[in-house]
Amino acid sequence: ASETKEEKTELSASSGSDKVILLPCRNPPSCERVQLWLEARKQYDILEKDK
Amino acid sequence: MTTLTRQDLNFGQVVADILCEFLEVAIHLILYVREVYPSGIFQKRKKYNVPVQMSCHPELNQYIQDTLHCVKPLIEKNDAEKVVVVIMDKEHHPVERFVFEISQPPLLSISSDMLLSHVEQLLRAFILKISVCDAVLNNNPPGCSFTVLVHTRDAATRNMEKVQVIKDFPWIVADEQEVQMKEPRLIPLKSMTSDIVKMQLYVEERAQKT
Repeated sequence: ASETKEEKTELSASSGSDKVILLPCRNPPSCERVQLWLEARKQYDILEKDK
Repeated sequence: MTTLTRQDLNFGQVVADILCEFLEVAIHLILYVREVYPSGIFQKRKKYNVPVQMSCHPELNQYIQDTLHCVKPLIEKNDAEKVVVVIMDKEHHPVERFVFEISQPPLLSISSDMLLSHVEQLLRAFILKISVCDAVLNNNPPGCSFTVLVHTRDAATRNMEKVQVIKDFPWIVADEQEVQMKEPRLIPLKSMTSDIVKMQLYVEERAQKT
């Protein structure tokens, strides 16, 4: 439990053939963020049509 | 018939290209079918000669591409045992896991130019199964997110490191309890066997999602 993120990140520290499960540090965009983008794009499309 | 080893003609690279292209389509489709993101960001495209839904959100698309760029060197060296798309609830507990179990034969037998079209046909069947999998799965709670896991060997992670640095997309070792579910319901979706790759896809679904 006391293992730090830095320690976890050192993927090559051990050289065994133990099985490991890897996951990205970064998260994908949240649903809320994507929803905001979608609404902004819809408004942009409406403005473009009105031009 | 020509028999090639994995070292010949960068054949591992060809297999990795094919699988990563397939996984990209599959991830987009899973996110659409399982309603992880609003349907408005998805557009209908044609892949493997069937209609699929692909996101047009630049940040999400880049994320998926970066993820697969890092996974590709592992597949190339036959070091990716499983690629798992995990859908998580608001508390970041897994509710569904789409498990792609991959194995490649040490000897690759190339019989003819029909090979790639045959693989394409097999991959198409996976896409079709994913597109209708909502019929056999329970609805997910609102506010879900996703991540991609790779099951590999400790020593194989070196193959990823250069790409991680280039892409500024670091990976960490997951804690088992972060990614596993207790007594999940198992739903087999599809399996394939070809000259270049064997793959099976199944879904693990949490019994109680809400």
